[in-house]
Formats: sequence, structure tokens, C-alpha cells
Amino acid sequence: MAYLVLARKWRPQYFADLIGQEHVSQTLANAIRSGRIHHAFLFTGARGVGKTSAARILAKALNCETGLTDQPCNTCSSCTEITSGQGMDVIEIDGASNTGVDDVRELRENIRYMPSRSRFKIFIIDEVHMLSTNAFNALLKTLEEPPEHAKFIFATTEPHKIPITILSRCQRFDFRKIPLAKVAVRLREISTAEELTISDRSLGLIARQGEGSMRDALSTFDQVLAFSGDQVEDEAVQTLLGMVDRRLLLDTVEAILQRDSRRALESAHRVDQLGLALRRFTQDLLEMFRGMVICKVVDEPAELLDMVGDELKVLKLLAEDASLEDLQRIVTLLMKTQLELVNSNSPLLALEMSLVRLATLAPSQDLGKLISHIESLERRLTSAPLPTYRPQAVPKAPAAEPPPPKKPEAPVATTTDSKRWQGLVDMVKQSRPMLGSVLEHGRPLKLEAPILDVGYPKGSFMIGQLQEDDIRHDLEALATEYFGTTIKLKVSMVDAEAQDAPKSLVETRQEEETDRMRRLREDAVEHPALKAVQDVFGGRIKKVIPIDKGFV
Amino acid sequence: MTFDQILGHDRQKEILSRSLASGRLAHAYLFSGPDGVGKRLMALALARAIVCHEQRGCGNCLACRKIDHQNHPDLHLLEPDGNSIKIEQVRSFQKDLHLKPLEASRKICLIEEADSMTVGAANALLKTLEEPRGDTLLILLTAHPNRLLETIRSRCQPLPFTRHPNSRIQAQLEKQLGIDSTESHVLAALSEGSFKKAFGKDRELYLDKRRKLLKTLTGLSPGSILPILDFAEQISADKTVLPDILEIFQAFYRDVMMILQGRGDNHLVNLDLKEKIHRVSGRENIASILAKLEALIEVRRQLDRNVNRQLAMEVLLLKLAA
Repeated sequence: MAYLVLARKWRPQYFADLIGQEHVSQTLANAIRSGRIHHAFLFTGARGVGKTSAARILAKALNCETGLTDQPCNTCSSCTEITSGQGMDVIEIDGASNTGVDDVRELRENIRYMPSRSRFKIFIIDEVHMLSTNAFNALLKTLEEPPEHAKFIFATTEPHKIPITILSRCQRFDFRKIPLAKVAVRLREISTAEELTISDRSLGLIARQGEGSMRDALSTFDQVLAFSGDQVEDEAVQTLLGMVDRRLLLDTVEAILQRDSRRALESAHRVDQLGLALRRFTQDLLEMFRGMVICKVVDEPAELLDMVGDELKVLKLLAEDASLEDLQRIVTLLMKTQLELVNSNSPLLALEMSLVRLATLAPSQDLGKLISHIESLERRLTSAPLPTYRPQAVPKAPAAEPPPPKKPEAPVATTTDSKRWQGLVDMVKQSRPMLGSVLEHGRPLKLEAPILDVGYPKGSFMIGQLQEDDIRHDLEALATEYFGTTIKLKVSMVDAEAQDAPKSLVETRQEEETDRMRRLREDAVEHPALKAVQDVFGGRIKKVIPIDKGFV
Repeated sequence: MTFDQILGHDRQKEILSRSLASGRLAHAYLFSGPDGVGKRLMALALARAIVCHEQRGCGNCLACRKIDHQNHPDLHLLEPDGNSIKIEQVRSFQKDLHLKPLEASRKICLIEEADSMTVGAANALLKTLEEPRGDTLLILLTAHPNRLLETIRSRCQPLPFTRHPNSRIQAQLEKQLGIDSTESHVLAALSEGSFKKAFGKDRELYLDKRRKLLKTLTGLSPGSILPILDFAEQISADKTVLPDILEIFQAFYRDVMMILQGRGDNHLVNLDLKEKIHRVSGRENIASILAKLEALIEVRRQLDRNVNRQLAMEVLLLKLAA
């Protein structure tokens, strides 16, 4: 006897073995128990989720010699015949090979005769979507009112190809994709029964490879066993499945986010050298970015992502620095790349181009930010005192000597300080957008020549970021360039509620926003037309809603 | 050909020979990987190892020689008839599979270019592929596994083949053809990991003609249309060579992109044209080079769909010269 692959050897033989399809097996078992058995069933669902197996189990249950049962015995001659596919009364037809109307006519001839031994004559038509239109139509009358001894079971992966007239005559069962955890549990059962040594992690990887299909997972499992025998090492599984090293992935993600196209290309080169599947790599990369998008929009992302604690943490950290718009654009571009890779003549080039493109994407601007920026510009133009004041103010400042010694300890930054701070942040943003946005959240406590003191609310993760050596080093270098003297960076914690500390740029912006709302309200209340309305009708103002989203 | 005589693919060899030794050979395999990396050789080597009278694919016994000459009664080949494998072919093939093997212990079936099966043919194969007779071994070969039906893929044990590293092809080229290292580097890089391509008939195209083509290409200027149209006519004349020419262009612009990204010279394909690449990279930027590569990829896709060749080339060259 030749070796049977695991998927065939472990084909489910009882309803209980149908993993992940409890909704189907329970309905069928109940139907059998109560004797309300429809005469035509349609099983649909993705590949390898148990359609054909369910059809055979149902056939056994209907024809078992122990009587109509939801627990076929698997020992009687009827059951064993079905298992080996030789049953006289259970006719398994390959719908894809017998597609014509003549095949259906033959079936109709056949159906008139009583079953030879068993209770029912059961026709299992697998891959039924391949029947021709005429064949389907020839089947309609028979399917609607078959003889009492006949049952039909159709199985297909593509229910949309089946005419509605057929669909309406069948009881339809949609098989689901099998959840990862359940596949892993089943794999564990099989590996125990086959006396194999394999870690849970490897089983998880294999299960993931199946993408919800039991047979795919088992085919992969076979491949792994063929490679490493009965003792399966984690490493062997990883190399065999072409798993992309997490480190390499993170590196690529970082390179893309930091717009370092050279490093991104280096990753592509390494992937190619390691002989990894490029599609696989793109897929994994896409999943990383998808994870980051989810981290951005969902508070508890763990449920939506099957990832372990450490990975999730890294992902969250990466996501903090990137804007949602950027991430979404990256995801869109990667999805396009993935499609291109399928049919590409030179996949490596396609991947390289895509990485370069991702790494050279111009940072997208949040529309709201842009608008508020224009608003503040406009306000400065209209409401601020004449700009000619400023050049005068600057020379005056050094002349006024007495004030500085007055409050040497006060952390409040002067107006010039806040302007210098704004200038520094703008400059940092130009060269290091992410670092710039970190600074935007900081409060400039002190800006005096050798020391730059930036405050963050207690517990902010940005403190940790600024304390990293290379980031601090970069920032100091930029600040030195800006101020013209050597600058030391100091990061301190401030009370989030403290009022005396200077505001961070983000906070100022928010305040300006509320300020605008207040003025809008005042304007509206003072409006003569509104006053007239109030006078005539004697109404009361409940709420003021700005109708524009734009400018004052 | 025994396993040992096949270059590279150590893991695949190991998997197959181990499964053979332990009797765990699956009933259906899907060998996937780029064209010309040795999938067919591997399949035939496996066939020989199975039928061989000495159980090792010796190459001397009658059975092995029959495999080599492809007249072994238990070796079935299914090849595209014209552009695709048709349903009638699959049906007659299935009829053969119902019979017992004649000489060997198993019937071995090779389905070449499995992705060229029509939808009907692929579906007709499904039931056979899932549960064939006990003594059947089906091997599907394809360069584009993603074009196969999911239901087909899920029924086979996957065995992916990877490209050969350029260094291996380069070494073989130098050993067997005695060409110098620059030429062998260019050939190896353009072959994209495929021995078939590297040793193919187009060596002259890839070496001398490439220089001429690239010289004309870089000499084009957006101002003068006539030379562009002439060149388009010239390269679109021969349908069979056109994809290779486009590949040459593509490799050249990829080199330019690499230089623009500051990658070292050892990542280049056209090692002998370094000077030209540097010169072209001087007048390009990332956006323009990406646009050109995009145009090349687009035109290759269009050629698969039977567009007017000359028109496509004219449009392409206008874009490249811009």
C-alpha cells in the first residue's frame, strides 16, 4: 500500500471530526435524529474545509446498516464501501469531468431504480459548478421532486456559478474557513497519533500557512515531515516555509518610514540572496503595515491581529511615529505591488521599484492641519498689529537690561524664545519629520545657550524616545546648527496640568482652535440679522454651529 | 540524470530522496519555480529513482534508459497542445491512469506548464488529483503557481524551487563556454537565475547586440522624433526577440536606478557599460527613472495581450527618450 498523505489518511470520518464546521454538523445531525432530511444538499466553502468529507459522512449516516444515525459506525459494509469509494448506492460523480447534458440524462435513467441494498441512493456531485447550463437545467425537475429513495449532495467551491433555480431547490450549507487555533489543535492531535515531535510554535506556523484550509495545512505538514522526518526542529520549519526573518522585516519597515531608500533596497537585495519568495516577503510587509494601521485606529489591537506581545509592542511603537495617511498610502501601494508580482516577468525589479517608491513618498499632510495652518496665517495677517513692529522689537530687547535678573528661575519662555523654538522645530521637521512631531508635543522649558530643556507630561512615551542615544545625538547636532553654539539636550518631566510652563506647539494650536470657536460664536450672536429674528420671534440661542470648515 | 548531477536545489533533493527512502512520497507534487531552473530535470530524476532496477536511478539499467528516452510505459507526460492543456487531453490521460502500472511500481505523470491548463481541464483533474489510484505519482510543473486554481494547489504537496544564484550560473558559464568574467556576469545577471536562458541561443543578443541597442537607446533625444520611430520599427520587427530586448532595456534602467540610490557597482548588471550608466544617471532623478521602468513593465504586460507591437514600441521609446 502506497503512503497516504496526511490529508487523506486523516480525512474526517465522523461529524465530530469536522473541525470548525459545527454549525453544519450540528444541523445535519439534528436533521437525521429528527428524521427531517431534505433531499438535496449543497455544500459550499473554500478549498480544504471539509465539504467532500461532510458529503461522505452524511452518506454514511443515511445508509449505515445500524440504522439512520448521526454516528455512522464506519465498520458495516455500507460504511466501508463509502470510505473506499466503491459503494453501489452511493455514487460519487466528478462534476468537472461529467459536465454535459448527456451525463445528467444518464443519471436520470439511473435514479429510477431502487437502491440495491441500502436505504437511499445517494448522488454526490463534487465540483458541481462545472456542469454546463444545459446539464443544470436537465437536472431541475429531478432535483425538485426526486424519487423517495434518492438524495443529492452537491459540493463546490464556487456557488456563484450555480443557477439560482438549482440553489433554490437545495438546502445550502456554507462551510467556513477554519480558525487558526482549531487547525493547530487538530494538527497537534494528528502529530500525537503519528508519534511526531514538533513544537507548538511550528504547528502554529504550519497552520497559518494553510490560510484557513485544513488540507493546505496538512499538505504543508507533509512537506515538513518529508524534510525533517519524525523529529521536527523549529528552524527546519522556518527555512522550509521561507519565513521571512522578523528582523529583516522590521528593518525594511523602518527604512520605509524613515524614507531611507538605500536601506530599503538593501533589504530587497538580502531577501533575494536568501532565496525567499518575494511575494511572501511583500505579504509579510503588508501585514506589518496593516498591523500598524490597526494599532493606530483601534485601542485594543490584539484581538484583530494574531500577534504575540513583543511583536505587538514593537509595532505599536513604530505606528506612533507614522501618520495614518502615510500608512494607508503605503498599504495601498503594497497591495498593488502584490498584484503586480503575481504576473510579473521580473519580480525582483517590481519589488525594488515599489520599495524605492515607498521610501521616496513625500510625507502626506493632514488636511485639517493644513487648514488650521492657513487659518493661523490669515489671522496673523488680519488681526495682528502691523508687522513693522517686529524689526523694532528685536533691537529693543537687548537694550532692556533690568528685566532678565528679575526672574532668573522662572521657566516661562519669552516671546522671542517661543519664536526660536518654533524655528527650531520647523527646521527639525524639514530634515527629520518624525523627530519634529515629537518636539511639537514638547514644552520648551528653557532655551538658553548651552542647555535646551524640553518638558513632557509624566509617562509620555516620547521621553523614552528622546533619551535614546542616537536620536538625542541627532537632535543636538541639529540644534547646534540652528543656534550656532553647542547645545545640550535635557528632557524633563512636567505636570500635565501645570499652567506656568510654556505651552507646546500642539497645545497652542488647540487653543487657537477653541479661540476661533469663541469668536465665531460672538460674531454670530452679534449679527444684526440674528438680532432682528430674535426681536421678532423672541427666540433663544441654543447652539452655534460653524457651517464652513475653513476660514474665519 | 540522477539527483547528484543536478546543480543546486539541495533542499529539494533532500526532501525527495528522504521521502522516497522512507516511503512517504506523496501522491501529488507541485514543483514551482522560474523557468529553466531544473524542475523538469528534478522530476525526471525522481522518476528514474522510482523505476530503476537498482533503486537509485543508476542510469544504466533498462528502466532508467527508458525514462531518459521518454518511452517508459509508466511515464506519462502531459504537455500543452498549442497554448494550453485541454480538457480532452486530461480525460484521455485520466483513462490511462485507471490502468495498473506495467513495469514499474508506480505510474508517474508529469504535467508540464500546469498553469496552461484551461479552467475546464484543471477542474476535471481535481478529483484525480485528490484521490488517485494508490500507485500513481502526479507531478505538476509550473513557473506561475499563482495562476493555478486554489483547489489544485491545495491538493498537491508544494515544492518550491528558487532561482540559481548568479554566481553559480556565472561559474558554469565560465567553465563550459570559456568566456571572460565580465561577459559571464552580464549573461548570468540577464538570465535571471535560469540556466536555460543563460545557455540559450541568445548569447550574441545579450552580449554584442546589447551594447549596440543601448547605445542607440541612450542616443535618442526627445527633440528628434524620426530616429525614435525608426528605432521602434527596428526593434519591433522580430516578435520573438522583442521580450529579450525589453529585458535588456529594463536591466539598464534598473542599473541607473541602483546608481541613483548609491548602490555599489557590484549590484549592476551591465558591468561593461559603467561609464554610460553613470552618464545617464546624471540626467535622471528617481521619479523619472521610476516612470521609465513603469513604462517598460506596462509595455511588457501589453505585449502579453497582443497589442500592435510597433505602436507600443513607439509610445515606449517616446517615454524613454523624454
